[in-house]
Amino acid sequence: MAVTIRRLEETDEVENFDCGDEPLNGYLKRHAWTNQQKISIGVTYVAVDESAPRAVLGYFTLATSSAPRDRFPKKLVRGLPPYDLPLVLLARLAVDKRFTGRGLGHAMLSEALKITLRFAEEVGCRCVVTDAYPDKVGWYARYGFVPLDEATETRTRKMFLDVRTVRRASGLT
Amino acid sequence: MPQATKIKERIAAEFSAKAPAPRKAKFQADLAPAEDRLVRALKAELQMTSNTDFLSDALVLFRWAVSERKLGHRIVSESATGERRTLLFPRLERVAPDSALPRVDIRWTEKELESLAEFVSGQPAEPAEALIRAMRS
Repeated sequence: MAVTIRRLEETDEVENFDCGDEPLNGYLKRHAWTNQQKISIGVTYVAVDESAPRAVLGYFTLATSSAPRDRFPKKLVRGLPPYDLPLVLLARLAVDKRFTGRGLGHAMLSEALKITLRFAEEVGCRCVVTDAYPDKVGWYARYGFVPLDEATETRTRKMFLDVRTVRRASGLT
Repeated sequence: MPQATKIKERIAAEFSAKAPAPRKAKFQADLAPAEDRLVRALKAELQMTSNTDFLSDALVLFRWAVSERKLGHRIVSESATGERRTLLFPRLERVAPDSALPRVDIRWTEKELESLAEFVSGQPAEPAEALIRAMRS
């Protein structure tokens, strides 16, 4: 399997995509293209095999966001710049269940973090934040993401990764 | 011949005599048999005999493609009937600008913001092994 990761295209085949999670399936099928091209609230990247370059095997969505500095605890804002903290949001990441266990998640996270680093160099951002399902917290933690809140059973958990750590991992200082 | 022209010619002759010839870099590649066949077929198709000319032309084309993607332009072929196909090439996508990422708002809890502020105001963590693999693959 020779996997390529690129931006979602209008003619990509998304209807058969099934990661086993309806909200993630539905986002790709109904909203990803519109959000990317028409209302610009997220860019979706897809993993495809070169032998069937339109069939989506996995996807992730990136957007930018920020954390409001004026809501940070006062004791912690002293060393921070006087404006909201810019960040990249890894909004979704999903692999079709027929293609799990082949390193697609790793490849897509790798690409998402490389894009984040380039974004940090071109525009500036301080960290990556993702919303992880409870059963995926361990997977993200392997890459150094840390939860920002206590565990609960019913909702996703925001997880944080410092861009300085990502830069160091890439071999850049 | 005017004096000024003679001087210019003398200077040019001396300069060209003393200036060292530009060094040519050698380029060697280990190609798989299929790639080797592809190179030979392309050279024949393009009526090229030299590998240097082949590499030089390929370089010009690759450099153009990189510069177009750097500008965020897509590379598209169009058939006589108007059917368009977009070039999808992973390495080129790496140079495409990503500064067009759109912005969304996140709903934060006080606890999340407190943790976030603690992390960003402290020293960055050492990268995990899986992260190093991801970033250097």
